[in-house]
Amino acid sequence: MSPEKLQIALYWGAACGGCDVAVLDTNEFILDVAAAADIRLWPIAVDGKYKDVEKMQDGELDAAFYNGAVRNSENEHIARLLRQKSKILVAFGSCSHMGGIPGLANFTSKDKILDTAYLNNPSIEPGNKTVPVPETKIGDDETLDIPEFYDQVYKLDDVVDVDYYLPGCPPAPHQVKAVLLAVVKGELPPKGSVVGAADFAVCEDCKREKKEKKVTRFYRPWEIIQDPTQCLMDQGILCLGPATRSGCGVRCPDTGQGCRGCYGPLPGVVDHGAKSLSAVASIVDGKTPEEIRGILKGIPDFAAIAYRFGAPASLMKRNEKQ
Amino acid sequence: MEEVRIGVYVCNCGTNIAKVVDCDAICASLSKMPNVAVARTYKYMCSTPGQEMIVEDIRKNNLNRVVVAACSPRMHERTFRKALQTAGINPYFFEMANIREQCSWVHENEETATAKAEALTRAAILRVAHHEPLENLYADMCPSTLVLGGGIAGLSAALELAESGHPVFLVEKTDRLGGNLARVDLTAPHLYSARDLLTDRIARVRANPYVQLMLESELKSLSGFVGNFTAIVGAAKKNGDPHKEHVLEVGSVVVCTGYKEFDAGRVTHFGYGKLPNVVTSFEFEKMLREGNIRTKEGRIPEYFAIVHCVGSRSRDFHGYCSRVCCMTALKYAHEIKSAIPNSYVSDLYIDMHAFGKGHEDFYRGSSEAKTLFLMYGKNEHPVIKRAQPGEESEMLIEVNEQLSGETIEIPADMVILMVGMEARSESGDVARLVNISQDKDGWYIESHPKLDPVATTTEGIFIAGTCAAPKDIPDTVAQARAAAARILGRIAKQKIEIDAVFAEVDEDLCSGCRVCNSLCPYSAVEFDEEKKRSRVNSALCKACGACVAACPSCAIKARHFTDRQIFAQIEGVLR
Repeated sequence: MSPEKLQIALYWGAACGGCDVAVLDTNEFILDVAAAADIRLWPIAVDGKYKDVEKMQDGELDAAFYNGAVRNSENEHIARLLRQKSKILVAFGSCSHMGGIPGLANFTSKDKILDTAYLNNPSIEPGNKTVPVPETKIGDDETLDIPEFYDQVYKLDDVVDVDYYLPGCPPAPHQVKAVLLAVVKGELPPKGSVVGAADFAVCEDCKREKKEKKVTRFYRPWEIIQDPTQCLMDQGILCLGPATRSGCGVRCPDTGQGCRGCYGPLPGVVDHGAKSLSAVASIVDGKTPEEIRGILKGIPDFAAIAYRFGAPASLMKRNEKQ
Repeated sequence: MEEVRIGVYVCNCGTNIAKVVDCDAICASLSKMPNVAVARTYKYMCSTPGQEMIVEDIRKNNLNRVVVAACSPRMHERTFRKALQTAGINPYFFEMANIREQCSWVHENEETATAKAEALTRAAILRVAHHEPLENLYADMCPSTLVLGGGIAGLSAALELAESGHPVFLVEKTDRLGGNLARVDLTAPHLYSARDLLTDRIARVRANPYVQLMLESELKSLSGFVGNFTAIVGAAKKNGDPHKEHVLEVGSVVVCTGYKEFDAGRVTHFGYGKLPNVVTSFEFEKMLREGNIRTKEGRIPEYFAIVHCVGSRSRDFHGYCSRVCCMTALKYAHEIKSAIPNSYVSDLYIDMHAFGKGHEDFYRGSSEAKTLFLMYGKNEHPVIKRAQPGEESEMLIEVNEQLSGETIEIPADMVILMVGMEARSESGDVARLVNISQDKDGWYIESHPKLDPVATTTEGIFIAGTCAAPKDIPDTVAQARAAAARILGRIAKQKIEIDAVFAEVDEDLCSGCRVCNSLCPYSAVEFDEEKKRSRVNSALCKACGACVAACPSCAIKARHFTDRQIFAQIEGVLR
């Protein structure tokens, strides 16, 4: 630890690890970061214990990058801890930005999840009755603690104050690099900004030719031989590009997959999924309710597609009694 | 920012609202809301004293926003906007809460109706705080008019405009003027000659230097907006010269494309096409014009039967009444009797529709001229069959006569089928070209069936005559001249006023995804291929919000319906 160096921490909450890999995907640039900064916590790559962070002075860290959603008490504890210890807290990646893939759990409940994972599933040992609980007594005076599994998934700013949001599942390496550089140089926009992304939609950067949209059938990408020069939506392949911030480098549409929406909504959009639904509904070319229903059958589980990365950030509130 | 000072006015509407809603209680409760400077109730807010109260309050209390809780904004929004304007503040700093149609008229329980009225008014108060001042836009009005169709409607509209000194392009698909009326002999009920009605008008149209007559032509495309259309007119025939296309700048379009007659061949039970002397009204009209009423075999017929409602007022064909056939049938009775005095005429009808001026007298005159009237049932039909050799007539018609309740058999040498009117087969193409709508029968839809019968939902496009619905000559001429009058009014103003409420695209946010492009019912959304941006033509936009809701980037915003305004309103209702 050297006082003239930047003090930073990277952490994963309810995450898949992809965000940490995205940091490593900056390749040799990570060595420059290591040269310019002391990485005080980074569970995937660097030694560093929670108790070391707990011992820090408030604001001792210059920047903390939190990836993953907040799904259990441990995630929340570290989120609060890093907020306290760091001058800047960055929500890194879709899960901390909007809830991400773990956020899809908000369509169901804790009880149903535990039931499927531990009690009623063909891949579970028949008759199992053990479900994880926060505290388990071992012997007379010893208890084993595990973090409490919450009934719903939260995005980072549901729990703590967040300074910047770096979207993406995971964020594109060139954007990670740009944001890390901005932090090092202290060239950051106003608090609350989305960084490492554009203020316009993916379509702006997508080279495919767009026409007037009228969809009479939706295709999964494998169901159709696509024309690589033409807009995916125009070919009936669902793409959230029109509703999603650019900055990713058009990674999915360029490889023939519809945009999955991981960079989140455009500025001014209140609910990403609702906007996506509104856009898709607008281009369905059916005359009768039956015809329209038939066309929409081509989209399996639209709620999960529209809110793939943002159920906890949506206007939909969970019924607590569920 | 200037402090928001709202005046809130709760209207009793006599007893219309006050009977169910406790207006005073709402007023007392809402007067405590932040930014509400004045809150009052009044018997009739729309009355002159009601409006004056608002004007005075604005001046005295420095109000800069006004909410009136009263009837539907469709009823009086304009009235109150005017009041704001009179008081010197922007008319769009106004919001109306509908506590009559949406509240007192549909609820009985005072307590819940009052709660709902209060919620609606609270929503309006929260919304109006976010209102922005808006100004109407103006565009130039091109004084030329495109008239589609050279029948009596098109001729009348063209003459009205051209004789006022304004250029008209009269486009007619065929090689002659006159339309369906040119196929008619005499007209009911005055028995004026159709030829006389037409020739004078055709001569005047041909002689008028302001009319550019384009025969054997049709509209190929229309772009632009009211006051500023560009029309391309080319040869009507498929093998016409494609180079003879004309690009015309026009300010208005009058669609007068008329009707076509119902195809009697679709009705099998009258034997049309099989029995040689079963003819349609138009075929008979031709005999009248030629002064030569003969059977196919060349005999002068003695027994005539006229059958009403062929294809009209029927479950199987057209449900509507074609309006002109009853009087035309009576006219045939007259003309037959005068051409062949010893003949017998039977008139088989369902109901006799004689609603026009002078039509009842005409009907009575026909009865006195010994026409035999036989009433048949609406969903029945007379049966026509060939008579046995040696009988006195060629055909026999069996009819269940409704008034006597008896089955009657009548002789006929010639049967005239009164075929109704139907929308022309190409009417859909024309509708798409000029962007107007059609009803289930294919007739063009007017802007308002009672109050705005010749305008359409597309500004600057008018409809007149039988392209909008079956009608007789006086109604057709009245519509054509009404459309011309509407256009002349605009030409006189020289400017087109464009409502301040429309959708706009923020070019920085638009990504050119084109989700909005095919949505607009008014064709107001265009795509700029060079900039790769969508654009809303404010003159065409009716502020319906379809593109606003669809825009996945929130790049399209509707003036006066911003997210912030709508969310404030929702919050007010839910609070």
